[in-house]
Amino acid sequence: MRSFPQPGAATLVAVILTTCLLLFLFQKAVWLVMPALIALMLYYCTRPAVKFLVFRGMSHEAAVYLVWFLLQLLSAVIVIKTIWFMLARSGTWENSFDNYILAGQNLINKTTAMLERMIPVLKSFGLSSQVNQQVHQITDNPQRRNLLPLTVVILKWVPCVLLVPYMTYFMLKDSGRLKKFIILSVPNAFFEKSLLLFSRLDVSLQNYFQGLLWLTFLDTICLAGGLKVLGIPNALWLGLISAVLAWIPYVGSIAACAMVVLVASADFPQTVRIAYACLILFLIVRVLDDFLFLPLTIGRKLHVHPVLSLLMLFLGGTVAGATGLVLALPLFGVVAVIGEAIAQIVTDDRLIARYRLAKQLAHEASRRSSTAHLTWHQP
Amino acid sequence: MKFFGTNTLNGHKIERLKNIPIFHQLTRNELLEVDELLHERTYEQGEVIFEKGEIGQGIYIILSGKVRVNPCPELPATAVLELATGDMIGEFSLFEETPRLATLVAAERTQMVALFQTEFSSLLTTNKNIGVKVLTEITRVLGRKARQLLIHEKHIPSI
Repeated sequence: MRSFPQPGAATLVAVILTTCLLLFLFQKAVWLVMPALIALMLYYCTRPAVKFLVFRGMSHEAAVYLVWFLLQLLSAVIVIKTIWFMLARSGTWENSFDNYILAGQNLINKTTAMLERMIPVLKSFGLSSQVNQQVHQITDNPQRRNLLPLTVVILKWVPCVLLVPYMTYFMLKDSGRLKKFIILSVPNAFFEKSLLLFSRLDVSLQNYFQGLLWLTFLDTICLAGGLKVLGIPNALWLGLISAVLAWIPYVGSIAACAMVVLVASADFPQTVRIAYACLILFLIVRVLDDFLFLPLTIGRKLHVHPVLSLLMLFLGGTVAGATGLVLALPLFGVVAVIGEAIAQIVTDDRLIARYRLAKQLAHEASRRSSTAHLTWHQP
Repeated sequence: MKFFGTNTLNGHKIERLKNIPIFHQLTRNELLEVDELLHERTYEQGEVIFEKGEIGQGIYIILSGKVRVNPCPELPATAVLELATGDMIGEFSLFEETPRLATLVAAERTQMVALFQTEFSSLLTTNKNIGVKVLTEITRVLGRKARQLLIHEKHIPSI
């Protein structure tokens, strides 16, 4: 597999600018981009199943129908289970929310008091009172404690989520035709290079998405196992949500950690150590991710320099907010591959010469044909 | 409903594919599956198809027209320098990325189909029935060409 390349300086600048522009546009159509991204991920994850069924003798269409049906069945089970879970707890949501906020405040109070005891200088700065004031400013806002906006947001996203199965189906069914359709518009001179580019992109995206899914699975197992050992209820769900949140680089892991620490401090208000243990568990999983799981799953993943990836995350966050944070790195990787291929074509004099010659020949052929046509129709 | 205009694959097109030696054994449905992997290209008279030394990414099969091979020292003296309908070019590049041996130019307006290396590999791993049939035919074509070469060699390495 050819991994995402390190482009040259001029190409790099063009790639960064293009990525930012695309992120800006994507943010405007986030309702379409997010389902498309999830569908793309599902496409790459279910494509091996379709290939396997075709290999076993099934026709391509039948294999696509079967895999899509199983995917729909699985989604329906998850949706029904989630709705059932939410309806069962809907009456206690507001109370639970208040409990978590109070538990969080409690944990922060205890932690700042402990820090002041351990480092007396902090007491003279008034750390405890300052932090308490900040926390109260955030948590006492009545709008933040109202769950209605959250419900509205969830309802707003329902139609977009419904697009996912249809997009996945058409990707599984027609991706070959789409590729042919795009390649058809490429001039003969660049035909082989373009096919090579498609092939590289396809393999890179497949490895990335399949690796991401394996990484989520491993993270879920580790986090759920650790949380279960610590005695946290709903360990599997918390592990799964945290692993999915980790798709958002840096920010996602912090948000997931904060969520689990809040749950731990709410369920064990007297034992602060459990909350600290959860924090340590997240740090251990983070280290495992970086040094063991990532090389095992996504492998060489996106070969982007750490400074560049941080820069892209900042730019992505600034240009497109949360959407930018999720999409910045994969999009940068894809744009880098395309950018490098275009740079190679544009700087290849032989290919450009062949393209010009072909254009000239096509022009002459069409002129000859029209002249012959006119001669034929003259009396 | 089918998308991207490929539902218009008619009997004429299938017949044309059926006439290509390596797809000779395929059934109608199998030809439809193979057609998804083939890329149709049209070259004007004098247009370069590929150049000597370029890394080959797949084979080309001539559907109509003629193609001229530019002579070069690497080619045997008896090599055919003009290829016509049904001829296949660059079989080795289906199995490994080798440099093209000669430059190919369209001698007249030529229609070709190209089968890319990765798509051929995916065909072999996903649809074994089609894969085996196509592979058998390619081996047959390569064997015939190797035999012709051996006959013209002064020292035959083995009989």
